[in-house]
Amino acid sequence: MKINTSRFGTIEVSEEEFIYMKGSILGFERLTRFVLLIKDDQNPLWWLQAVDDPAVAFVVINPRLIKRDYDPMVYEGDLEFLDIKDKDDIALLAIVTIRANPFRVTANLRAPLLINAANRMGNQIVLEEPSYHVQFDILDHRQELQETGNDEGKGLERLARQAYAAPA
Amino acid sequence: MLILTRKLGEAVNIGSEIKVTVLDIKGNAVRIGVEAPRTVAVHRSEIYELIQEQNTQAAAMAAEVSLDEIMGHLRKEK
Repeated sequence: MKINTSRFGTIEVSEEEFIYMKGSILGFERLTRFVLLIKDDQNPLWWLQAVDDPAVAFVVINPRLIKRDYDPMVYEGDLEFLDIKDKDDIALLAIVTIRANPFRVTANLRAPLLINAANRMGNQIVLEEPSYHVQFDILDHRQELQETGNDEGKGLERLARQAYAAPA
Repeated sequence: MLILTRKLGEAVNIGSEIKVTVLDIKGNAVRIGVEAPRTVAVHRSEIYELIQEQNTQAAAMAAEVSLDEIMGHLRKEK
């Protein structure tokens, strides 16, 4: 299926590789279908492009690349909602916000996207732990970003394998 | 807005699947219990608004950035 995007033009994607937001990205309830676009292995920032709105794309990152000990307690109910039965199916992505003046890059560690890598259903969950910040500063933790290898976890690894190459 | 007075232990049903119960009242703090299907997201309003706002900002700025450029900045030594 061809989808229009304002950033990448028209791209051809297969419906099996959509990520379906069974819950919603808060404020974007109308958008339920997304595709993951990865430019190259070298760039840990990925795109989550909305299928049904060319203009909406989020920058996302594996939260463990910026906070190594990121291991939030996910509610049973949240896992059940997405039908996650196996820990290895869990994939977490943090939405990144980029600001220009002054330049700031933050990741929302408090409300990550939880995705079941097996059925590709997702939801934005809200963690109870206030120590996970909504605006976690990536610039302050870029050292971590450089040192960390490709520790994606099995779920995320699977999602990444099925992602599309983002056009330049 | 519908306004109802409830005592400790009393509840309000919203539709057939949502029930809100007053569990405890201490000074100006009220503990409420919400029973709702998993398909209904229940969040404290201020958190909900904060995250909605953050998502909106994230999507707005994303329209203009180049990820390579951003990574260039992030990889620069301090």
